[in-house]
Amino acid sequence: MHTYQPSEILIEQGEEHTPVVQRVLTRLPHVPVRLVEKDWERKTPVASEHDPFAVGKRRLLFTRQRSPFLEHCPAGTSGLVCCNYFVVSLISNCSMDCSYCFLQEYLANNPTLKVFTNADVLLGELASAVDRHPERHFRIGTGELSDSLALDPLLGFSADLVPFFAARRNALLELKTKSDSVSGLLALDPKDRVVVSWSMTPPEIIDTEEHGTASFAERLAAARQVQAAGYKLGFHFDPLIEYPNWEEGYRDTIERIFSTIDARRVAWVSVGSLRMTPALRTAVRRRFPRTRILSGEQVACGDGKWRTFQALRVKMYRTITGWLKEAAPTVPMYMCMETAAVWEKVFGHVPSSDKEVARTLTQPNLVGV
Amino acid sequence: MSLLHEHIVTYAQEKRLSPQTLARWQAWSEEDQAALLVVVRVLQLGDNHLRDFLDWLEEITTRDGGTTRELLTRAEISQPLQNALSRNDKLKAVKEALRRLRYPRLSRLEEEVRAGVKALDLGNRIQLSFPPMLEGEEITVEIKARNLQELIDNLSRVQHRVADGSLLRLFALFDEV
Repeated sequence: MHTYQPSEILIEQGEEHTPVVQRVLTRLPHVPVRLVEKDWERKTPVASEHDPFAVGKRRLLFTRQRSPFLEHCPAGTSGLVCCNYFVVSLISNCSMDCSYCFLQEYLANNPTLKVFTNADVLLGELASAVDRHPERHFRIGTGELSDSLALDPLLGFSADLVPFFAARRNALLELKTKSDSVSGLLALDPKDRVVVSWSMTPPEIIDTEEHGTASFAERLAAARQVQAAGYKLGFHFDPLIEYPNWEEGYRDTIERIFSTIDARRVAWVSVGSLRMTPALRTAVRRRFPRTRILSGEQVACGDGKWRTFQALRVKMYRTITGWLKEAAPTVPMYMCMETAAVWEKVFGHVPSSDKEVARTLTQPNLVGV
Repeated sequence: MSLLHEHIVTYAQEKRLSPQTLARWQAWSEEDQAALLVVVRVLQLGDNHLRDFLDWLEEITTRDGGTTRELLTRAEISQPLQNALSRNDKLKAVKEALRRLRYPRLSRLEEEVRAGVKALDLGNRIQLSFPPMLEGEEITVEIKARNLQELIDNLSRVQHRVADGSLLRLFALFDEV
């Protein structure tokens, strides 16, 4: 896997003595450091370079999060079946550079990879929400605006997050990654409250479209390691990418995963079609002119996003979930950002509410094997 | 400046193409640029249509291999350009041919649906319509009637197609690729 090396470290004034900044300065002694004023990012025009998004990824900014950390997952768009998931972001932007990544549009005018220094505030917020509602089960992920683990060897956030969740019975933390950076997890005891999940595509897609990520073999080796260390696993076949050999590619990928890890300790598997706004397609075309992901039979759907046309998408879902059921019959499965009609065609039923999907994914018997 | 470059720049000025569209076109090999110039001159493509052509041509060649020049000289693309058709009809024919190449399975499915509807033989007072790109699950059935008897006759035609299973097969087509 590509090791992240920032071109510059920017520290907002007042944040220079925070634990995470001190850790990073020790670990990257040769990277130039600059103190910047509050809101520097907002006042700084987007770089005029050929690819400002790529340049921004290498400019590491430490700042405070001044808005609430805990948010409902934005995937719960009206009209689509939702799984009642929550997200928190200690990092905004990603050191990796997948050709299909939505951050290319979402953070297009963002000149940095931003790390929030106030993890203590995040933990306070989480404690307040989770402890105030002992009757509810929370699934909370950190992989919305960044990879959950790619920068963990540098930032060390998992050392704060894992013990926090390990101490609570009504919340699960999901660390979603395309990396193999799991060394920071191995000495911690997750007490069944942490799911480490991998986004999986066939190796030929990883090698050509998921730039700077761990290879398929590296991800699988890391999954085996964390499973042995007591973590539950998750797998996300999301985005599902339609390409000429998709059937062979996905079948082989599923076989290799479930012949390597123990399916009984997999908390969930999700599937989700590649989806892109028109603006994202334009950004992808500009940044990755040789990509093959735009060449599938994708059409504009009701929510404005482009997906593989429905009949083919349903065929892909049915085929892949069929193989998943064979390989891991007891593992709960769900779809991300799909209509009730597609749920019905693939799973034969539509959940009555987002809470029903969430309940299936947090049942104690499923997470406490 | 080469003659080809000059022609393309002149065309871009005439049609007020955006710098981004022009840059994409000029990033191609000279053979591909020239082949597209022939097509755009006949079809008088403006910025929006040209962008669609660039997207589709790049996406097809990326997926299926070959060059844009080879694609544009295929009979289904080149023939309508030479036929005695209006500019709009030529554009429609070429875009449809390109769309079939860009979306081979979706186009096939759409043709099967059209053939399925035709085979129902419901007459011209009963209209079946499908969501665009077959994205969705609903078929709209529209029945026109001037009097009660006509309505009963038309409903009976539909009922007959329900009973013989041909409407069920049409719904099933939504899921078949």
